[in-house]
Amino acid sequence: MTLNEALALINKQPGDGSLNVYFLVCGCQSLHLATLLQAHLLKRLPRNQVQILTGFYGDFSGNLAKAAESNATSAAVVVEWSDIDPRLGLRSSGGWSAQATQDILATCRQRLAHFRNEVRKLGARMPVAWTGPTLPLPPIGNTIRAQKSVVELDLEQQLALFQLDIAQIPGVRVINPACGDQLSSSARLDARMELLAGFPYTIPAANALASCLVEVLHQPSPKKGLITDLDETLWAGIVGEVGPEGVSWHQEHHTQTHGLYQQMLGHLADCGVLVGACSKNELSTVQAALARTDLFFNPETLFPVYASWNSKSASVAETLRVWNINEDAVVFIDDNPMELSEVQRAFPGMTCLQFPGNQPAKGWNFLGDLADLFGKPLVLEEDRLRLASIRAAAELRDIGAQASSPEFLSSLQGVVTVSWRKDPSDKRPLELINKTNQFNLNGLRIGEGDWQRSLERPETVLAVISYQDKFGPLGKIAVLAGSQCGTVLRVSSWVMSCRAFSRRIEHHTLDALFQRFNVQDIHFTFAATERNQPLQEFFHALGVAPGPEGEACISRVYFKEHCGVLPHQVSSLTE
Amino acid sequence: MNDIKKRVASCFSNVFPGIQPEEIPTASTASLAAWDSLGHVRLLASIEEEFRLQLEMDDFDELISYPLIMAYLEKRSSNE
Repeated sequence: MTLNEALALINKQPGDGSLNVYFLVCGCQSLHLATLLQAHLLKRLPRNQVQILTGFYGDFSGNLAKAAESNATSAAVVVEWSDIDPRLGLRSSGGWSAQATQDILATCRQRLAHFRNEVRKLGARMPVAWTGPTLPLPPIGNTIRAQKSVVELDLEQQLALFQLDIAQIPGVRVINPACGDQLSSSARLDARMELLAGFPYTIPAANALASCLVEVLHQPSPKKGLITDLDETLWAGIVGEVGPEGVSWHQEHHTQTHGLYQQMLGHLADCGVLVGACSKNELSTVQAALARTDLFFNPETLFPVYASWNSKSASVAETLRVWNINEDAVVFIDDNPMELSEVQRAFPGMTCLQFPGNQPAKGWNFLGDLADLFGKPLVLEEDRLRLASIRAAAELRDIGAQASSPEFLSSLQGVVTVSWRKDPSDKRPLELINKTNQFNLNGLRIGEGDWQRSLERPETVLAVISYQDKFGPLGKIAVLAGSQCGTVLRVSSWVMSCRAFSRRIEHHTLDALFQRFNVQDIHFTFAATERNQPLQEFFHALGVAPGPEGEACISRVYFKEHCGVLPHQVSSLTE
Repeated sequence: MNDIKKRVASCFSNVFPGIQPEEIPTASTASLAAWDSLGHVRLLASIEEEFRLQLEMDDFDELISYPLIMAYLEKRSSNE
C-alpha cells in the first residue's frame, strides 16, 4: 500500500461503523506508520472506524505505560535500537567510544528489564503485537560490515532473550519482521527523514511493518482439521501397486518431500489439529502401510482413516461427521487435481490444496502455507486433548440413543468443574466463544481487548466449565458470560464445544448458576444463527421460548421442575 | 501543467481532508492551521510519492506554500 492510497482509504472510512481503538507504541514520530497502520486496519475491518492513539516522541517507555492505561483494545508496539539507548540512533551525539559501548550494553540490560515490566502490564490489558528492531545498528563495533562485532552480538543476544521472555506473556505476540518483507535493514532506514522529522522508516518499510502488525493482531481463525490423501501425498508411490514396502518418503529415495509432509502432520497433530486420511484403496493395504515402523509420525494420530473405492467426497463427508466440525474449518490435501475438484464441488467452503509432489522448493513453501492455515498464538491444554475426546465422542455416538440415558450418563463417573475466576491470562474462554458455532447463544464474536476490558468490570460474571469422565478429560469445554442485576442474571455469551454434547453439561451449568448467584431468573441474549441449532434444540427441549427480540428467560422454579437428571459430580473453583 | 495541479490538489486533499478545493491554490503553512510541522512532512511525503521524486532536506524548509510547491514541480518537469 502506498502512502497516498492509505490516506485516501482513511478519508473514506465509514462515519457510522463501530469504533476500534488501537495504541501505536513507538519512540519515533508515528507519522506514516500510524497512517499505514490505520489504513491496513481499515482494510481488515472495512465496516468499522479505526482510531490510532499515539504517545510522545522519544518516550518509548512512557508510551508503553500510557498504552496500558488507555482505552485502546489492542496495542502495536514498534521498538528500535534508539529506543533502547538513544546512542544507537542517528540523532544522538553520545559517541561510540569503547567506554561508551560498555555503557550502552549495561544500559540496554536495564532498559529491557524495565520494558519487560511495562509489557507485562500492557499484555494484561490488551493483545500486544511487538516488533523488535528492524533498522540497522550504527557501526559501533570494530569490524567491517560483513562481520558481526562482539558488541552487536551482545546487543542481539540481550534482545533475543528479552523477546523470548515477553513472548511467553499471555497476549503478547512477537512479530517476525522478515515475514512478507524482502527489504534489507538498510533499505528500511530513511536517514534523511529520521534527521528531518524523527521518522526513521522508508514508506515501503513502514508499510511492511504496518501490514505485519495487523496480520498478527487480527489473525484468521485457524483451521481445525486436515484430511490427507495417501498415495503420492503421505508417501510416494501407489501402495496398491507397489505394496506397503514399496512406498517411500525418504532422502535416499529422493522422496523426502513426503517425509517432510509426514513430520508436519505429526507436528500439527501435536498442536491439536485433527488429522484424518481418505484414500481410494483397500483398507487392509493401507493398514499394512500405516503399520510400517519407519513412518515419520505416529499413525495413531490419523483419525479417522477411510480407505475404500467410494468417491473422495463421500469419505470426506464421513470424516466431517465423525469430527463434528464444519467444512470451512478443514483443509483437504490430495495430489490429484480431479479428486480435489470433486471434493471442492461437494464442499465449497473447504480449503482444498494440491500436494506439490516431489518438488522440494514448492514442498517447502507448502509447509509454510500449512503453518499459516493452522497456526495460532498459543497451544492450549484443550488442543492436546482434542483427538482423544473426538475418539470418545465417536464411541458414544456408536452406542446410539442409549448414550443419552440417565443410567449410561451416571455410569460415566463424570465430574463437571465450574470455575468462576475472571482470569484475563486464560485465553481458552475467548477462544471457545470465537470459534464455537453449534452450541452458541447468539454467534457474537468478541475482540481480545474488549474481552479483557469486560473482565475488569465488577458486575461481569464468568463461568468456565471443564469436564472429565472415565473416557478421559475434555478440558475447558464451555463458557458462559454475563452480568448480575439484582435477582436476574443476564447471559450475553454461552458456548459449549461439540465434543461435550449429550452429557447434560448445559443443564449442570444452569443449575450451578442458580445456586451460586441465588437469582430468580436467567435472561439470555439469544439470536438464531445458521448453525446454532443444537443450542436452539436445548432451549426447545427445556421449554424456553425466545421472544421476538431474541430475549429468552428461565426461572429458577421452572428450571428445577424441568431440568431432569443431573448425572455428574460438580465442583467449583473460585478466586 | 493541469495534470500537475490536479495531482498536487489530490495530495493536499488526502493530507488535509478538511480543505476546500478553492482554498488549495492559496494554501500555505501560514494560512492553513492543519499545515503544521507534521502535516508538512506528510504533505511533502505524499508529493514525493505522487511524483516519484526525493526532495532534498533544504526543500523541506522552502516548499511551504502551494505556489512554491507548484513552481518547484513545474521547474523540475521542464528540466526533464
